Amino acid sequence: MIFKVAWRNIWRSKVRSFIVIGSIAVGIWAGLLIIGFSFGMNNERTASAIGTTTGHAQIHSEAFDLEPVSGAVLGDESAVYQLRSEVESLPFVAGTAQRTVLQGMINSVKSARAVRIMGVWPEDERAQTTLPMTLVEGDFFESAGRNRLVIGEKLANRLGLKLRSKVVLTFQDAEGTLSRASFRVSGIYKTLNATWDEFHLYVHHKDLEHTTGAPLVHEVLVRYNETVDTDEKTIELASALPEDLSVMSWKQVNPELGFADDMMAIMLVLVLGIIMMALLFGIINNMLMAILERRRELGMLMAVGMNKSKLFLMILLETLMLGFVGGPIGIVLGDLSTRIMMHIGVDLTSKKEGLAELGVQSIIYPEIVPEYYIIIAIMVVATALIAAILPALRALKLNPVEAIRGQ
Amino acid sequence: MSKPVIEIKNLEKVYEGAVPVHAVNGINLTITEGEFTALKGPSGCGKTTLLNLLGGLDQPTSGTIEIGGVDITTLSENELIDFRLRNIGFVFQAYNLIPVLSAKENVSFIMLLQDRPKEEREARAQQLLEAVGLKGKEGQRPVQLSGGQQQRVAVARALASKPQFVLADEPTANLDSTSTANLLDIMEKLNKKERMTFVFATHDDRVIKKARRIISIEDGKVLSDE
Repeated sequence: MIFKVAWRNIWRSKVRSFIVIGSIAVGIWAGLLIIGFSFGMNNERTASAIGTTTGHAQIHSEAFDLEPVSGAVLGDESAVYQLRSEVESLPFVAGTAQRTVLQGMINSVKSARAVRIMGVWPEDERAQTTLPMTLVEGDFFESAGRNRLVIGEKLANRLGLKLRSKVVLTFQDAEGTLSRASFRVSGIYKTLNATWDEFHLYVHHKDLEHTTGAPLVHEVLVRYNETVDTDEKTIELASALPEDLSVMSWKQVNPELGFADDMMAIMLVLVLGIIMMALLFGIINNMLMAILERRRELGMLMAVGMNKSKLFLMILLETLMLGFVGGPIGIVLGDLSTRIMMHIGVDLTSKKEGLAELGVQSIIYPEIVPEYYIIIAIMVVATALIAAILPALRALKLNPVEAIRGQ
Repeated sequence: MSKPVIEIKNLEKVYEGAVPVHAVNGINLTITEGEFTALKGPSGCGKTTLLNLLGGLDQPTSGTIEIGGVDITTLSENELIDFRLRNIGFVFQAYNLIPVLSAKENVSFIMLLQDRPKEEREARAQQLLEAVGLKGKEGQRPVQLSGGQQQRVAVARALASKPQFVLADEPTANLDSTSTANLLDIMEKLNKKERMTFVFATHDDRVIKKARRIISIEDGKVLSDE
């Protein structure tokens, strides 16, 4: 019956209870939308980075990780072939691509910049990455010719380069001595990661070999079948390979993406914490008002023999019930809103340039994150429990005689 | 001879302040089973304070109050709450029913606090409501009942816990004459039929006339005991 009393008590002041329940629901709804939006944005950025540039994991020699010099290769052609075969035989691996990675300089008529030169096997890149699909001008080594260069749009703009513009690349050859070679822009790409675009340029591995003297393979990119649990798969991959090879997950290759993930998780908990704090004060205020209005009744209950634990329980139940009504409403509203937006997307075209800097598209598709529903449910219950303490203590301190008199 | 239900010895209650007030000043009383007693006196004479002390709602400055052989002045706060629940019935001036519960639920609630089984609660609540003339009103909430009917629910509630005695503080103060007469008849009937001890604090002559023992209080002292 204490449940019944508590339940009926919360409806004694319908307007006030509806306001509190409404604020709980709106708070949770907003929280879920923020979570969905943040995950949608972050996952899109991550998926874009993995798809276009980094892959799920990368294999390097340990020497390359220490210092990415031209000589720090994975091995000769047959060793790389064997390595790729070994990796591709793993059930969760969808494919691999090999790359030459050189640190160098690009000089145009206008300017010069430090860059990372990616010597690629175009058919590998086409099979394992979406980079060739990001070309806004030219082609990805499909046309005939030598010393072709595919450059990021941002870098091209900074260097004043257009299609067929001539540039000079400076980099280390196989012996570690500096070499120079002329290249001509044959394609301009634009990924969602403007920072990547500004620092990476692609050349055909054969064109590099003319200068370096030998095929240099520094990196094998690995793409998995599924995008879930990539950390676990990377650990499994590393355990399957010789110890002198370094296997890095996309988070290690692109730490800012991993960092963004971690930061987002922290930020979301903070946002939820702030929402819950606001709800906490709202609920406390509501319950204190309720206690104040029911002083006489509570005094009577204490007088006739309702012990403190039962009185505490009754107030606790009332507070929890507010959360139990508002919480599910907020979760259902948040879930529905997120699902609707998952289909139509959130159009932020007006912020397109800024979003591109962050590596995301101008239309964000929020995502449902079920584990956050559980976190929110726990937070609502915890908030309600905490909110009950002060009003309950206030009620327990009532003097029955004074309370019955209405003092 | 009836056994004593309440035995008060040298009871004092002093409210400290700039001028200490002796609300109860050395009262000695014995109330036996089945009494229908009125504590009368002008406002501020100390009768409500005495009632609160008897009910364990307030602590005396000195003296003892024995109820069924237990000196309640020695009990802790929690023990007093439990003691009140099992031994004392209360009827308040302003009825003080739980507005969100029906008449029957209000009566049952006390028994729920005593952890009595549901069947017993239901049966006793029904029996008590019938005894106070509220058959057919069991499902009504306090707001749907008149003042007299609410006070009758309060009486049923006071009896629900099977107390040793019922303390009623100005139970008729908010009632019209018809309701007062009805209520007094019911309490008198319960007193005679079930030998339930009633102690009223009142200055209502209609109550005083019904009482078989009248204790006059003035300045915290017993002026007369008839």
